[in-house]
Amino acid sequence: MGTRILTVEDDDRIRQSLRLALEDEGWEVDEAATGEDAVERFAQHPADVVLIDLMLPGMDGFEVCRNIRRNSDVPILMVTARTDTHDVVAGLEAGADDYITKPYAPKELSARVRALLRRVRTGDSASPHQRFGDLEIAPQEGQVKRGGIEVHLTKTEFRLLCELASNPGRVFSREQLLERVWGYGYFGDGRLVDVHVRRLRTKVEADPANPRHVVTVRGLGYKIQP
Amino acid sequence: MKRRPRGGLGRFALRTRVTLAFGLGTLLLSSLLVVLSYSVVRENLINERQSTATRQVFVNARVMRDALRTAEPDVPRLLASLETPAGSRPLLFQQGRWFAQSFTRGRDALPLDLRERVIGGAPATMRYVFDDRMALAIGVPIPAVDAAYFEVADLSELGETLDFLRFSLLGAAAVTTVAGAALGAWVAVRVLRPLSAVALAASAIAEGDLAIRLEGGSDTELASLAASFNEMAGALQERIERDARFASDVSHELRSPLTTLASSIEVLESRRDELSERGQAALDLLSADIERFTSMVEDLLEISRFEPGKGNLHLEPVWLAELVRYVLEAHHTTDDVRLVIAENAAEAFVSADKRRLIRVIGNLIENADSHGEGIRQVVVEGDNPVRVTIDDLGAGVDPEDRDLIFERFARGRGSHNRSGSEGAGLGLALVAEHVALHRGRVWVEDAPEGGARFVVELPRFDPSVPDDEGHQPLDQAVEEVT
Repeated sequence: MGTRILTVEDDDRIRQSLRLALEDEGWEVDEAATGEDAVERFAQHPADVVLIDLMLPGMDGFEVCRNIRRNSDVPILMVTARTDTHDVVAGLEAGADDYITKPYAPKELSARVRALLRRVRTGDSASPHQRFGDLEIAPQEGQVKRGGIEVHLTKTEFRLLCELASNPGRVFSREQLLERVWGYGYFGDGRLVDVHVRRLRTKVEADPANPRHVVTVRGLGYKIQP
Repeated sequence: MKRRPRGGLGRFALRTRVTLAFGLGTLLLSSLLVVLSYSVVRENLINERQSTATRQVFVNARVMRDALRTAEPDVPRLLASLETPAGSRPLLFQQGRWFAQSFTRGRDALPLDLRERVIGGAPATMRYVFDDRMALAIGVPIPAVDAAYFEVADLSELGETLDFLRFSLLGAAAVTTVAGAALGAWVAVRVLRPLSAVALAASAIAEGDLAIRLEGGSDTELASLAASFNEMAGALQERIERDARFASDVSHELRSPLTTLASSIEVLESRRDELSERGQAALDLLSADIERFTSMVEDLLEISRFEPGKGNLHLEPVWLAELVRYVLEAHHTTDDVRLVIAENAAEAFVSADKRRLIRVIGNLIENADSHGEGIRQVVVEGDNPVRVTIDDLGAGVDPEDRDLIFERFARGRGSHNRSGSEGAGLGLALVAEHVALHRGRVWVEDAPEGGARFVVELPRFDPSVPDDEGHQPLDQAVEEVT
């Protein structure tokens, strides 16, 4: 079965041109013109990647994000108006894994989709089982437990945690994490890392406001510690 | 703006003018008062003295007439026996002979004019200066005995009184003038205080703080000034915001068709081989200009962001030299361009919105490539502030155009000398706005080797100040890592 992409976009012509461009990449395209339609379609027919325009009439893109995120860890790529608005952070908080700004080049879009598709749950087979205090990471099983109870992480959060855990105590810069987890280089948006770390903390930390495991090293980046 | 030609006091500041006007006014008034009161007092004093003396002279003249009618009068004794006011000396002229009581007040002490008139038969009074002293002479003819009686009064005592009065009045006038000027200065400061508030507010608006308003206070005139000012500021703000919103709305609306265009062209590109040669050429033109169009819309979106200020500035410590190297490498191959990193700037961090700073450096590099015939060298230097200088190989920028090129869609007058058909557009305007948001400066000057030198100056990040999220200072963190 091929890779399915659900595009949520209210502009008819953009949707049609996206279908043409994405089908050229060899992907199967499913479409939704409204947020309600998108949620329904996804429930019936889960996709491998969801592309959501945040500006939708009726149920907006943030709501669609949260709705899908409730039951699925499918990679979500959101389309934002601009990079400097709060939309980016709000979209990431709502559960998106990455974002792209309109107008975007289709090459850029397919590159982002491919990066999301590459982000598999299980780590390298060589990655060992690790423990940081009450936090347990089992990369091969794709499992994370806190206090013995499994916590549900998205693929991106999981990859982020695994990268940090690959070298405990070492400080990873935002750029390094962007490259390893998102496939961006130096020019990626540091907010992707910041928001995902914040979301990760709400799941793996007992007190997310005072993190003990995933800590910030100001001016340098993040690290994991027992 | 039209300016009135200024003359006279207009050359000075308003405060000085008000002070001067008050000083001059009080000087004028007090001088007038001095002159008036001095002359009134003087006239009164002299007149009183004169009438007293005149009465006495007539009395004495009568005494003399009666005495002279007797046989063998002893004139000098008679003169000495007369009652005269202090400082007054009697003189008598009888049958061509002069009799005086004192040697200093003889015939010559009397003005000739007076003597002739009195001897001619008419009583007369005269004020004059004798021996440097003010004197009063009164003469009465005594025809019955063929004589004339005179008295010379020394008015110098009166003169001293008047001198003292004049001195006191002038002193008072001087004090009043100084007090008037002081009052003027005080009033000027008081009255101009709201004016300086207006000036401050106006310059704040000029610097882009459109939200500033004046407080009216209780004074009705000031309140109306403040109200008009605020109305103007409000109208200005509304207008600027409407323009910004318009630009923003337009570029937002352009995004959707652009996305469709870009995706569709991509589909065509992948079917390039199916097109004829002419079709391929047209497609190339189309995709090149779609790319240009897209970047223009992106610039426009970024520059017309509706909410200016720091609200959406995502500040983090950024290693400047590293950022410059990355941006340079994204545009050029490494050995293409000389990058010099001075020792004092090698470790420098700046507090910046990385995305915007990348845009700043990127736009300057693109500007040097498209308008400056390439880059000669890029230098990162300076302790605090840290500077990035980009020297190009072009013809430089005319001094008159150096501010202009940082304005939106500006094409400097010298731009026809520059290569490339694309206008400067928004690139440098974006640079200027982003740098200002980072509390830095950007300018262009002549590079020493020729060509233009663009300089960006940014304040160095101070690691000892904890950030908003209360993260630990950098030096501590570095210690932790090492």
